[in-house]
Amino acid sequence: MLFAQVVKTFWNEASGSSTLYIKIVVTIIVGFAMIFGLLQLPPRGRRAVVVGATFLAGLFYVMLYLWPKPLPGIDASGAPLDHGVPRDFVESVGFWLKDALPVIADFSNILSTFLLGLGVYSIIRIHSRKLVRKQADWGFSVVLKVSILAKVIVGYVNYYQTHYTQGSSQLELPKNWGTLQYANDLLFNGLLQQMDAAMFSVIAFYILSAAYRAFRIRSVEATILLATALIVIFSLMGIVQYEWDSHIKQLPGATTGGIFSNFTLTEIYNWIRENVQTPAIRGIDFGVGIGALAMGLRLWLSLERGGASA
Amino acid sequence: MNNMSSWHGTQYQDTGWFGIVITMLLVFFILINIARAGKNKNLFIRRIAGLNAIDEAIGRATEMGRPVLMVPGLGDLNAISVQALNIFAYVSKTAARFGNPIRLCCGNAAVYTVAQEIIRDAYQSEGMGDRFDPDSVRFLSDRQFAFAASVSGLILREQAAAAFFLGEFFAESLIFAETANSVGAIQIASSTQSTQTPFFIAACDYVLIGDEFYAASAYLTRKPVLVGSLVGQDWCKMAGIAMVLFGSMIITPQLGVFSPNKISQTHSQTIEVPTTTGVVAKAPGEDLGAFEVHVGDTVNSFDIKDGKVVPSTVTLAEVGQKADMIAPRNAIPPDTEIQRLFQPQKDKTIKVTREDDPKPKKEDIVPGTDPDEVKK
Repeated sequence: MLFAQVVKTFWNEASGSSTLYIKIVVTIIVGFAMIFGLLQLPPRGRRAVVVGATFLAGLFYVMLYLWPKPLPGIDASGAPLDHGVPRDFVESVGFWLKDALPVIADFSNILSTFLLGLGVYSIIRIHSRKLVRKQADWGFSVVLKVSILAKVIVGYVNYYQTHYTQGSSQLELPKNWGTLQYANDLLFNGLLQQMDAAMFSVIAFYILSAAYRAFRIRSVEATILLATALIVIFSLMGIVQYEWDSHIKQLPGATTGGIFSNFTLTEIYNWIRENVQTPAIRGIDFGVGIGALAMGLRLWLSLERGGASA
Repeated sequence: MNNMSSWHGTQYQDTGWFGIVITMLLVFFILINIARAGKNKNLFIRRIAGLNAIDEAIGRATEMGRPVLMVPGLGDLNAISVQALNIFAYVSKTAARFGNPIRLCCGNAAVYTVAQEIIRDAYQSEGMGDRFDPDSVRFLSDRQFAFAASVSGLILREQAAAAFFLGEFFAESLIFAETANSVGAIQIASSTQSTQTPFFIAACDYVLIGDEFYAASAYLTRKPVLVGSLVGQDWCKMAGIAMVLFGSMIITPQLGVFSPNKISQTHSQTIEVPTTTGVVAKAPGEDLGAFEVHVGDTVNSFDIKDGKVVPSTVTLAEVGQKADMIAPRNAIPPDTEIQRLFQPQKDKTIKVTREDDPKPKKEDIVPGTDPDEVKK
């Protein structure tokens, strides 16, 4: 079998071909059969299926990481080729893994889409109940539902008009926009994006209030934190940094690598960044990485089950 | 290249195999300790203040008759979210015992569906399945700041008494923490994003830093598999520390302890970088400074120290791409002059020469990059 080296693979078919439809129908039938089979299984059997599926899914990515990735071929002139023909079993498997990757990614995309539907259903259910029972702040639920409905309707109709109607390409230019395009622009760029920006800008005030509490001198640690923060803040304030550094540079030997050259704000800031901040972050990241590896292993091998295990 | 064995996959070339060997070693450490943990029940785990405070926070919420809020962050359904949900399952069990209401807010639909099941399981395992309110686990929005606004609104409306922020958090972390602080909630937080940890430390009562987040399951349940895995993680960290020490011992004599030797006496050097554009620069100052090579959206940065080119780039462009622009960075002294840009005929190298440097040897010059040739 030839895989990544040719455009056509087991995982795809020509658009509109009968084989494509046959594969779609077979996939749907197999999918429903699997769901039905899982429902019929006793809990222990169901667990075995889940463990097996988890292991196989994880094994794919482990193989993708460990199995030798095919070396790029070269043509007669020595230029690299995007596609090559596998020379042996090892490269055949490598090509197969490469081909299967987008398909596996599609699986998770399709699953996510279904789950998003469940999420939206959750929002609608909670706010419908709030509306029907006239609970506190039910007015916000009305706003939410009207917003969702308006954006869905305007968004879909706009998508249809800009993609499937005659002269749809003209609608890309604002001068050709109709009411619907303006409405869509107002809802997305005029409202949603602006509200996002407003929430983001609120962080500036929160940083100030959090910094005020954190930097109050209550302990040795807080004092060190305050001193370090002040140095970093001053080193980033151009006028302060310039004034300080100018004075330091007038000291003997400060410009010729003497001891005083280490006391410019720029030098101190760089020292803090390179010798305190970066090593600390790397240490934390290393621990987090190993923790994620251990967690991933436990999940892959089904050594840990969520919920009841905790 | 076609003559090479196919077992030399691209990821095993150069030093790539070393990363794979280290990964396998770490995996071995973890698995061997999981196997060992079944036999040795007395493995020690140090005290983690943030996890000890869970019961205290829920107890306080019960006394005040206000809900416990849990947020697993914005991440997809991955190891981080699952770990956060494991801790939330423990929190939910404790809350169920006290009959305390909970609110679990999700920013990802996949996490929401899994959270529903895990929290329902937690209630059922406590024999209180009938007390589980499906609306207590909510999907709010998968848009970052819409999610931040929803959670903040929920904290303010319901006056949460305890807030748990565990998982992947980004810019919204401080919005959550400060809002919860404003209603007087006890906050226990942890982010696997090291950039957000300082915000949590500044604003929250307890913070799980780094891998303490992953140690939580083992700490709370003391299950042999989890404790063994934790010991394995410690072995991995010790291996990491040993490698750092070994590397330091190797490199220190070369650099000199108190008076660092010059790494290289060569003032002119050819380095292999994936671009087809070269630059010749003149620097009257002590150091040339630094420059950047732009290839599409990728910017490769290079520092020049002691006449040696040090790539400080994060991402290198693909081999064969052409550089769109070479620009001096601010670090270059103002009197540095970029003499000219030129296209070498067929190479993947950048040639950097200082005017006051000794002339490079003829054999070191890559065809097409000799400044003299270009002048002609």
